[in-house]
Amino acid sequence: MAETKTVLVHIKRQLAPDQKPYWEEFELSWRPFMNVIILLREIAERPVTREGKVTTPVAFDANCLEEVCGACAMRINGKARQACSALVDQLEQPIRLEPLSKFPVVRDLFVDRSRMFENLKRMKAWVPIDGTYPLGEGPRMAPEVQQRAYPLSRCITCGNCLEVCPQVNERSDFVGAAIINQVRLFNLHPTGAMHKRERLEAVMGPGGIHDCANAQNCVKACPKGIPLVESISEVNRDAIRQAIFGWLFG
Amino acid sequence: MAASGASTNHREYFWRKLHSFTGIFPIGAFLAEHFWSNSYVLVSVEKYNEVSRGLQTIPWRVPLEALLIWLPILFHGGYGVYLWWKGKSNVLDYPWMANWMYTLQRWTGLVAFVFIGWHVYTERFLTQGRSTYADVERALSDPLYFWLYIVGVVATSFHLGNGIWNFLCKWGIATSARAQRGAAWFGALVGATFTMVGLAIVLGVRFDWKPFEFYTLPRQ
Repeated sequence: MAETKTVLVHIKRQLAPDQKPYWEEFELSWRPFMNVIILLREIAERPVTREGKVTTPVAFDANCLEEVCGACAMRINGKARQACSALVDQLEQPIRLEPLSKFPVVRDLFVDRSRMFENLKRMKAWVPIDGTYPLGEGPRMAPEVQQRAYPLSRCITCGNCLEVCPQVNERSDFVGAAIINQVRLFNLHPTGAMHKRERLEAVMGPGGIHDCANAQNCVKACPKGIPLVESISEVNRDAIRQAIFGWLFG
Repeated sequence: MAASGASTNHREYFWRKLHSFTGIFPIGAFLAEHFWSNSYVLVSVEKYNEVSRGLQTIPWRVPLEALLIWLPILFHGGYGVYLWWKGKSNVLDYPWMANWMYTLQRWTGLVAFVFIGWHVYTERFLTQGRSTYADVERALSDPLYFWLYIVGVVATSFHLGNGIWNFLCKWGIATSARAQRGAAWFGALVGATFTMVGLAIVLGVRFDWKPFEFYTLPRQ
């Protein structure tokens, strides 16, 4: 019988938010087209470490399995990326799996990214249309604007852009590229533009756009290819215009 | 909800933008002037002494120095140290070009701030504002000072060139990827020019190299 190929995985585990992380090693038999999610599922089926110690299944967050939900972002061999699109055959072994470092760990590879949602609210990155009576149809959107807005709307809030940003750390409350990109998206939207001023005011507030220092890692790490650097620069242009001319011309 | 924006705290935004702006004006502009005037060492000792004496005797000298040089540099450097502390470089994990620039910008800023502090103390204050070619020559004859000047000039020039790129991106002047590439080339050109001119000045004094001395010779 031919020797079976195996896959070596090192996983940084942590049982609870307040507990110390530790490493565990697993050795699995190789299968074609394996990705990191399949790997983690096989560990869940048979949670035994390489030394033969019975352990618990590794907790991780995942949903769509086709890189459109953002849930399975983690550090794979030190790089922030989606586990579902990380193919085992393309990874150097042993494969190192770690949770994102810029978010609180819930358990193992599962992190709490609610901060991003809170920051979307803080930067008013939505279109407020709730009210007591129907407002009717909004203004039409020019096809040219649609084409510019669509790539921005593909954000999956995975958090990779925050993970790779040197300006996002425990000394700074920078909201990160994803949130600023959403500010741009909703400022482009004809109904959203009615609240453009408020969004720009918020984006010039604490943790806002000025915390970007142009390291441009976000655009490299984005799994959706969103022009994040361009978005930050565009919002910067609008913000500085409002900051300088806002009080002059209202 | 319309009024909610009014309560937002914009203090940090203001200081950040002022930090960014002072790097170009007046500090970058002064550096250009400084390298220009000092380039007279490449013409002749007399010419350099004449030009520096001219600058040393301008009216309103001390208030102008304070307002256009000392205060902006103290603010830009002091606030810059805070920004240096606030960022956490990860260039070893993500060794991308712009990430290297981010990291280098912080460290060259720190080096430049220390160098400029020492440079101003020795050449402006110890000489009581009357520095001459002989003073500079004496300083540069010390190998330690010579290398301090080389490091200081390179760090400062890099910081300005990269800072111009940062400025163009962060003020929304160069927004698209293509425009930012262009801005990067422009910043690189400025940085390279300042490095070359700065090094020429240091080497010119150190090795008594006067490539433009023929300007002063009588016409044949």
